[in-house]
Amino acid sequence: MKKTLLLFILVAVSTILAVGQVQITGTVTDAQEGTPMAGVFVSVKGTTIGTITLQDGKYSISVPAGTQSLVFSFVGYRTQEVPIAGKTVVDVALQQDVFNVDEVVVVAYGVQQKRDVTGSIASVKGDAIKMPVQSFDQALQGKAAGVSITLPNGVLNNPPVIRVRGYNSITGSSFPLVVVDGVPVFTGNVSANSAITNALADINPADIASMDILKDASATALYGSRAANGVILITTKRGSGAKTRVTYDGYVGWTEPYHLFEVMNAQQYIEHKNRAFENAGSATRLSLVTGPDGKPIDTNWADYIYQKGFQHSHAITASGSTPSTSYFLSVGYTDQDGMIKKNYYTRKNARLNLDHKLNRFVNMGANVSYTNSFTEAPNTGASFATAGAARLAIVLPPIVSPYNNDGSYNIEGSALGRMGQPLPALGYYNPVAIMDLCKYTSETDRLLANLYISIEPVKGLIFKTQYGLDNLNVESISFQTPITGDGYGSNGYAGNLFDRRNRWTWTNTVNYSLTLFDKLNLSVLGGTEEQRTVGNSWSGSKTNVSDPFFTSYQGSWVTAGMGGGSQWENYFISYFGRFNANWNKKYYLEASLRRDGFSGLSKGNKYGTFGGASLMWNVSNEEFIANSGISSIFSDIRLKASYGRVGNMSGIGNYSSLFLYSSGVYGAVPTLTFSQAGNADLKWESSDKYDVGLSFGFLKDKIQTEISWFYNDINNLILSVPQAPSKGIPGNSIPANMGSMYNTGIELSLTSYNFVKKNFSWTTNFNFTYLKNEVTALAPGVTEIRATTGGLETTNITVVGKPIGMILVVETRGVDPQTGRRIYVNSQGKEVLYAHELPAANRWFYRDGSGNAPQITTAADAKPYACAIPKFYGGLDNNLTFMNFDFALNLTYALGFYVYNGTKAGLRDQRWWNNSVEVYKNAWKQPGDVTNIPKPVMNDNISNGSAFPISENVEKGDYMKVRNISLGYSFTKLPKNLAIERIRLYAQVFNAYVFTKYTGSDPEVSTNGDTNLAPGVDRNTAPQSRTWSFGATINF
Amino acid sequence: MKTIIKATAAIVLILLTFGCSTEYLNPVPKTSLSDLTVFDTKDRVVAQVNGMYAMMKSGQFLGGRFFVYNDVRCENFIPKSSNLVTNYATWNHTVVSSTNEVQNLWGAVYAAVNAINVFLEGLEENWENGKLKNKITEAEYKQFKSEAYTLRAICYFDLLQLYSKPYNQGNGNNQGVPLRLKAQKSSGENDLAPSTVAEVYTQILKDLNDAEPLAIDKYSTDLLNTTRVHRNTIIAFKTRVLLHMHNWSGVVTESAKIVSSTAPFKATTGVAHELNPSYANIFAAPYTSKESIFSMPFTTTNTPGTQNGLPHYYNPASSESYYLVTAAGSTFSKMDASDARKTMLVTDAQGRYFLGKYPDYTNLTNYAPVIRYAEVLLNRAEALVRAGNTVTQEAVDLLNAVRTRSFPGGAYALSDFATPADFYDAILLERNIEFLGEGMRNLDIMRLSLTIPAKDGGAMGSVSAILPNSPSYIWPVPVSELNFNKLMTPNN
Repeated sequence: MKKTLLLFILVAVSTILAVGQVQITGTVTDAQEGTPMAGVFVSVKGTTIGTITLQDGKYSISVPAGTQSLVFSFVGYRTQEVPIAGKTVVDVALQQDVFNVDEVVVVAYGVQQKRDVTGSIASVKGDAIKMPVQSFDQALQGKAAGVSITLPNGVLNNPPVIRVRGYNSITGSSFPLVVVDGVPVFTGNVSANSAITNALADINPADIASMDILKDASATALYGSRAANGVILITTKRGSGAKTRVTYDGYVGWTEPYHLFEVMNAQQYIEHKNRAFENAGSATRLSLVTGPDGKPIDTNWADYIYQKGFQHSHAITASGSTPSTSYFLSVGYTDQDGMIKKNYYTRKNARLNLDHKLNRFVNMGANVSYTNSFTEAPNTGASFATAGAARLAIVLPPIVSPYNNDGSYNIEGSALGRMGQPLPALGYYNPVAIMDLCKYTSETDRLLANLYISIEPVKGLIFKTQYGLDNLNVESISFQTPITGDGYGSNGYAGNLFDRRNRWTWTNTVNYSLTLFDKLNLSVLGGTEEQRTVGNSWSGSKTNVSDPFFTSYQGSWVTAGMGGGSQWENYFISYFGRFNANWNKKYYLEASLRRDGFSGLSKGNKYGTFGGASLMWNVSNEEFIANSGISSIFSDIRLKASYGRVGNMSGIGNYSSLFLYSSGVYGAVPTLTFSQAGNADLKWESSDKYDVGLSFGFLKDKIQTEISWFYNDINNLILSVPQAPSKGIPGNSIPANMGSMYNTGIELSLTSYNFVKKNFSWTTNFNFTYLKNEVTALAPGVTEIRATTGGLETTNITVVGKPIGMILVVETRGVDPQTGRRIYVNSQGKEVLYAHELPAANRWFYRDGSGNAPQITTAADAKPYACAIPKFYGGLDNNLTFMNFDFALNLTYALGFYVYNGTKAGLRDQRWWNNSVEVYKNAWKQPGDVTNIPKPVMNDNISNGSAFPISENVEKGDYMKVRNISLGYSFTKLPKNLAIERIRLYAQVFNAYVFTKYTGSDPEVSTNGDTNLAPGVDRNTAPQSRTWSFGATINF
Repeated sequence: MKTIIKATAAIVLILLTFGCSTEYLNPVPKTSLSDLTVFDTKDRVVAQVNGMYAMMKSGQFLGGRFFVYNDVRCENFIPKSSNLVTNYATWNHTVVSSTNEVQNLWGAVYAAVNAINVFLEGLEENWENGKLKNKITEAEYKQFKSEAYTLRAICYFDLLQLYSKPYNQGNGNNQGVPLRLKAQKSSGENDLAPSTVAEVYTQILKDLNDAEPLAIDKYSTDLLNTTRVHRNTIIAFKTRVLLHMHNWSGVVTESAKIVSSTAPFKATTGVAHELNPSYANIFAAPYTSKESIFSMPFTTTNTPGTQNGLPHYYNPASSESYYLVTAAGSTFSKMDASDARKTMLVTDAQGRYFLGKYPDYTNLTNYAPVIRYAEVLLNRAEALVRAGNTVTQEAVDLLNAVRTRSFPGGAYALSDFATPADFYDAILLERNIEFLGEGMRNLDIMRLSLTIPAKDGGAMGSVSAILPNSPSYIWPVPVSELNFNKLMTPNN
């Protein structure tokens, strides 16, 4: 009796207690495999009630009575909403999201479903950039429509030039904003010497989960004043899945220069140069020099400068999650020798990303990474440096050797020795000596960290605060030997520079989303952000070493230099908001607004307002479309349009609005003179962006296409407006917001899942961009801006009505077959010939025989000749899997542009410089010879285009590159006791081949680095490198 | 309840961000002074005063090149090289409005003028509003003003010497230069029409006359007396200006303030200027004798800059220096063998003669003489004769004082001069010899509208004489001024 009563009471109580809740259980499996899935998130739609499935795929959840359905979601699988329909056991089989339709895209201050995105965003997954490079940006080429990446050369750790939808500034920077986990990070070369160091290389590519590139105003508006050049959002990996995953990723590889020039050997050199002496009317003759082995010296200088560099890289990552915590841990080490001797890069990095669900309301997390990197490089040559390794390989005569016959270095003072040959003092250094004895290194310590707390007090309302740090320390150490080279004149040189940059970013956001009337989805975001950057650098130098034994600054020197340094800071404070609304997933509206204050602007003028709005119509979700025949052909048709205004503050210095004085001396007393006429009116450069896009799926989402048209109208470009010299303004110019420019174009992105079967799959990704850039206004008094290469040669010009940075040359029309002279076209359009061996007054004369002509100069006769910006560019990726094999072929291309091949001018220079074999074979010899190499006359550095650039050396740069080929095999069925789930072995070639008609080392070149005004110049640049690698990925 | 607490906490967090921003938004640079702090202490004010002099001392202006231009355009020197960087175009009168010398000198002088105007504006403003009351005395305030006015007067006078026709052509009724008297710190106000030569001279005299009563009598050290402006500097410079204006009685009146009535001639008030007994010592360290009224100082760490300094242009070992014309009829040929100014010359291996005044070829520390006492005496002598149109004993004494200092046996007698014209010839010759390499010759030729004589440079080419009405007599207005100052007009 008692027992029954107790039982009855228990049942009654539990029934009473349970009357509000229902217990649902079930199993979740993979629809394809049939295997149970762990870690699947099971939740009640519209509440915070949720749980995850266990190892066996089973779950148990207590839901309020009357709940209609449960939602099942897991990364990589299509989310399913399953009705409960009165059952207590609900089993679900999840479909793989093969076509990535449910993909999530990272946007400014949040994430969105790919199909809800109204702005123009290109997403690249972390796996797509698995290449043997130093930094992730070197692997992004051809992966995203509208994004153009140029690697300047094959020197390790050289920052690529990144352009999102064209050039967006003239005097400021066109480089996009890079944000890592919500923190804007330092970019660019941070080294103070020739050991170039890319700040973005401190981010281990293996840590990157995705890169989302925001392109139009609606997507970028939330970054306001820094968004005009586009924004690259990097998200690092988070833990996921209940099972702990440990992965080892490593490779070994070899890199060597791709496409070296063929220059003359000793015999050809002597024959050709002696002919040049004869044509000049000189009796000087060169002869072979006998080497230590009794044979004539025939030096191939490239052998001493380039090498096959060995590389190896290792990364171990571990990730996993429990119901409340997920973590991602990664440790990496890479050690790379470059294609140039004495070029090394090593990096050690460690990262820990933690996300923790404290309770129902509070989530918190931290991402911390530390990187130490070390770069060493010889002077690889910036255009005209006499120490530049790339230049020395092609300019030095093959008849002398780096060593004297007794084994000592062949030097004469600072330069390479002539070994008794009747050459003028060479002036260029002995590369073996300076590479052996000089040293340039740069070491960075980088801390990237952030901490966040997010609170969701009621459903849909999330407060988040995030504090991030980017601390970068760079130490650049240089040593130049007293024995020869740059350090010879000062009896040695040692210089150290320590540069510390600290940045903190504090972001607070509140996000509220709700659904009204079951169909109106609203989301509001409001927030503030502060960012402060403080920079501090100091340097010291010493000259006149006491003993060649000392090779560092800390050694014993006689003379101490003055030293220097800088202290600077800047600060941003912003308020922003975004409103998203969609009606039944058919009609979308997004609007955002941001107000930025920047410390570099003048008092009373510190703030600017930016914003953007976009509309999208998801045509496929309309009933009439869904029910018509169109939906069987086209799916997910979305039409979007956006407009907004964003800004660029890179042209505004930290203190440019202030009126500054600088110190000096008058005799022996100190002086103060005003040195900067601060411009109190200086403000942001502004970019009005228009974008219209259409995306749709074809054949049931098998082919997904996105097309967009964009127009960026850039105004208030900061230019130095010249002042009348009688005003006496320092520098005779004042920066002002005056210029304007536009970029317009079309982007096309296509992803095709050609085959997706169990044992065979083939996916193609194709993207294409058409870009047009034009400068529409400069400033009163500024009708053109000329830019130089290396400060010595004027190679580019920017004028209204043409693209920025046009190549500026004097037009030439080949070589006159009758006389062997270069044919120039002067500003009047008349043809003028040049003969170097005649007396100075008679060297220039008209081709029609009408007498002497005025000297041809860049100032008088050059004109904007060719556009250096590619008109079409993009990439084509093919990924195949067959059984356990996988194969990837990545192509990139750029068409419709020209390159100024200044290196070719050097290779044809008729001073004592070595020349290409083409010069030896094709130089003009007698009347009637049709060739493009003029008659060789010793010391003629005009006809070849050295003294000033000529159109002979402007070439089409169009190319298609086989960027990456990789072939891998995965072992999946492994003995259980090894605890290894999968091993993939792969072989890969990076930069395998270039299809191009360009005769220089590579049409992908930028001697002037990240420049707006002087792109498309190839002047004595090192070639690109080709890297072979073999690697293994082991998943434990 | 929990929700409300959490929400409040979050809102408070957001509000906190409003607090700590203002000081970060207005950072003060740590390594440069700005206009907000530059009048805070007396030392900084003095540094700004010295800053004005430093701007005048630009290698493109009084740090060297200005003197060289005014010498090599005349008949005494021949260049060793045709390097355009070392003023070959100035020497052979082929300068155009885009030539470097033409653009750079104009730019350097006006940069100095603006630095002076900016200082004056700041000084007056900070004195009026009381900020400087406890930091500098009223006497110092006046002294700094006098220095600013004087330096500005020197700038405008020097501009006129090359970029406009001399005063005596049409009494100054020709195009002068734009008169910038207002501090220029921002864009706008590019357009300013040139004033006439007469108007510029009026301003020059006004500046000097305003400066004179405010000036200091003398400084505490010889160095300061030589390198900073004091009352006698102003008076001495006035004699030069008035001489160029052909205001003979003005020259006489002014020079009487600093020249005693009889030999040995010296200044009896303020700094006691007098002729230095040894010509060579004027140009030897420490360069601060009582004869040097105003010179630009140099040290090993404060040099004129590459290819700007006087020592560079007269260095026998340099491949681009200038040597003296020694043909018959040249200034050289008219120097007596015992004249100290001739024995000071140096020769090179080929027997060419170079000035020996600026021998520090390595460290370039020789001071540049802007004005010295010998000129005041010669100005006075010439003015005395021109004013009365008769040669007086006083004038002859003044001439002899300068002449016999270097050439004791060369004293003139009153009877040597039959007409005033003979006296003028003698004065001009003496000035030619005395001030070789000090930038005086062109000034003397042009103020009297004489012909710039022809010269034969041998391999460097020969240059024909330039007549006073030739377009090449003066330098053209630089193209950069014509481009950006819409009211500026060419001067030929």
